[in-house]
Amino acid sequence: MDDLMQQFAIEARELVQQASDDLLALEAAPHDRQRLESAFRAIHTLKGSVGLFDLASMHNVLHQSEDILSRARASTIVVDDNLIDPLVAVIEWVDESIDGIVQEGRLSQAQEKQATRLLGLVSGKMTERETDELTNVPSAIPEWASAIRDRLPVAQRDEPLVAISYRPHPECFFNGDDPLATLSRLPAVRHLEIAFGEQFQSVNTFDPFRCSLLVNAICEGPLSAVETEFRLIPDQVELAPLPGIATEALSQKESQPERLGERQASTMRVDAARIDSLVEIAGELIAAKNGLPPIAEMARAGGNDPLAKAIYSSHLEIERLVGSLYSAVTRARMIPLEQTFRRFPRLVRETAAKLGKSVDLIIEGETVEADREIVESLFEPLLHLVRNSLDHGIEQEAERLKASKSPRGRISLRATQHGETLDLEVSDDGRGMLSGDILRAATDRGLVTKTTAANLTELDILQFVFSPGFSTTNSVSDLSGRGVGLDVVKRSIQRLGGDVEIQTVVGEGTSFNLRLPVSFSMTQIMVVEVDGERFGVPIADVIETQKVPISAVQLVRGNRAFILRDRTVPLLHLGQLLNTTGLRKASNEMKVLIVQAGAERIGVAVDTIAERVETLTRPLAGLLQGMTGIAGTTLLGDGKVLLVLNLEELIG
Amino acid sequence: MTVCIDGKAILLRGSCGVEEVELFVSYLEARPDLPVDLTGVEAVHTALWQAIMIYRPIVTGSPNSAFLEATLLPALRFSMEHDR
Repeated sequence: MDDLMQQFAIEARELVQQASDDLLALEAAPHDRQRLESAFRAIHTLKGSVGLFDLASMHNVLHQSEDILSRARASTIVVDDNLIDPLVAVIEWVDESIDGIVQEGRLSQAQEKQATRLLGLVSGKMTERETDELTNVPSAIPEWASAIRDRLPVAQRDEPLVAISYRPHPECFFNGDDPLATLSRLPAVRHLEIAFGEQFQSVNTFDPFRCSLLVNAICEGPLSAVETEFRLIPDQVELAPLPGIATEALSQKESQPERLGERQASTMRVDAARIDSLVEIAGELIAAKNGLPPIAEMARAGGNDPLAKAIYSSHLEIERLVGSLYSAVTRARMIPLEQTFRRFPRLVRETAAKLGKSVDLIIEGETVEADREIVESLFEPLLHLVRNSLDHGIEQEAERLKASKSPRGRISLRATQHGETLDLEVSDDGRGMLSGDILRAATDRGLVTKTTAANLTELDILQFVFSPGFSTTNSVSDLSGRGVGLDVVKRSIQRLGGDVEIQTVVGEGTSFNLRLPVSFSMTQIMVVEVDGERFGVPIADVIETQKVPISAVQLVRGNRAFILRDRTVPLLHLGQLLNTTGLRKASNEMKVLIVQAGAERIGVAVDTIAERVETLTRPLAGLLQGMTGIAGTTLLGDGKVLLVLNLEELIG
Repeated sequence: MTVCIDGKAILLRGSCGVEEVELFVSYLEARPDLPVDLTGVEAVHTALWQAIMIYRPIVTGSPNSAFLEATLLPALRFSMEHDR
């Protein structure tokens, strides 16, 4: 893929997203001038980018889209569904076409066919604005208005303003008018000119009660506020909205797509791989600094105490610096959740329309930041949860009305940050889930026996929706259809080091609470050896370590166990859990990690307990992603990759 | 009295309405040598501004209004310098 095409793909996706955000916002607030301008700019720039390639049909469709948006800007047509629906369809089409364009350099046949249909849509009938002297402003800026604007400092011509030409009636003082006082009441006057009109008066002919002035001014909008101020004397003023010179220049200069980078001079686009390599180097440094204390110990053992002390103190200093380097590069990887959240309004709109439901999506906390990998990996699980709410949580309109609810359903997507923890909530005001239904479905699927079922708490019962058994399709509706694929959601959140909880109230709705780390932080790892291989175990998972003589191990119903402080602790060997095949060392003593698994304590035997390191664990990616029992990988001081185990998963 | 004369200047004070324009014009005609002092004035009717533009006295003092000080006075001065 050549550079130009690569740049096109990045920008086109951003512009599509921007246009889509703006159009959806306009749908909710049709008078939002800024959104209208922004949608226009996005489509205009997109058209410019498309024009660089051989994509005539897409260029035509975008040209027509830009055209109707500029008519809306000039207030000759109304911003309503007749305008927004075709434009949303165009944007979706462009979005779907980008991948194909990048690969093939042109539109596929199917997409070409769509172009004709879309061109018809955007050329269709729009709602004309009713003629009104003040609101029906012609799209081009009148000459008098641009003449006044030319007298503004250049820096001020960039924003949308209103030009005013006010010719007070000669007898206006008798009507109680005070023209200059009227101007002082306008929203921030940026420029004012006072001159005598045609009926110039000299000292000799001067009649102080006759107004002969002509006033030109430029003030800040909105136009409606200015109109209000002059509502009693519309015959004496002319108003012209000035769109801002940057926007205007855009609509005249066709072929110069605006580079997003130029708009945001303080930010720069950096290839994510470069930041990742920085994070990796910082991670390696952390590991490398862990190599210093053993050297200090060697020095001490060799009788050189001052050298040992010097190494220790330099270790402390390096530790501090590496710590701040690490947190700085981690911050560079942080992106706002908005990047994931902003994809939802359109998805919700589409899915709700397909299901024949009307749903409001409320998004909060999109500015909260988290590691890029976390933000990006969140999309799938959140999508799953939102779709679930749409499909099964939110009732059909008739059902909602029957339950005295508002006919429009409500789904909220909310993010908050508490220290290093990211809390996400996906909630709906739908029908909720009945624990009885969940239990019945769980029993039917053999997830629980009837006897055990009787002893389960509500909370235990709700957990069944996360069991893999629930993701099978049949008789889903028995259970208000919930649970579809929720096990997948839970696993992906856990893979990111988080967890999911569910709360539901029948008739009021369901909420899923996701708790995740904001970034992948440093953790203490215990390195263990089994069958000649080394693995990491998060120290947080280990309650204590014990040396257990072989003679103390008993066989209890075919399983091994030992007694620890008067309690029988089941004993498992890590080699068996991992199916390692190396030679097991014969020894008359075992090293055992005591870990918590559910309500029980379990001993996990290993061959050797080696060093402890503070390091960075990254979740598994690629082919390894689905592996159970592995929390992630970490890099050791010697450059070797260590698999970090999730003992609870491994035992379970 | 919001329009008065003190031998050194024609003074506009407080809020000067349209009803004061005749008196103001009479001062401007009688004493074309005196400046018009706007120190502390809060509002001045358009009719008086128009009179200033006709008689073109020297205008001194700072009004007690951001609009008058920052917007209207510069426009008035510009107009008197460039008109005619």
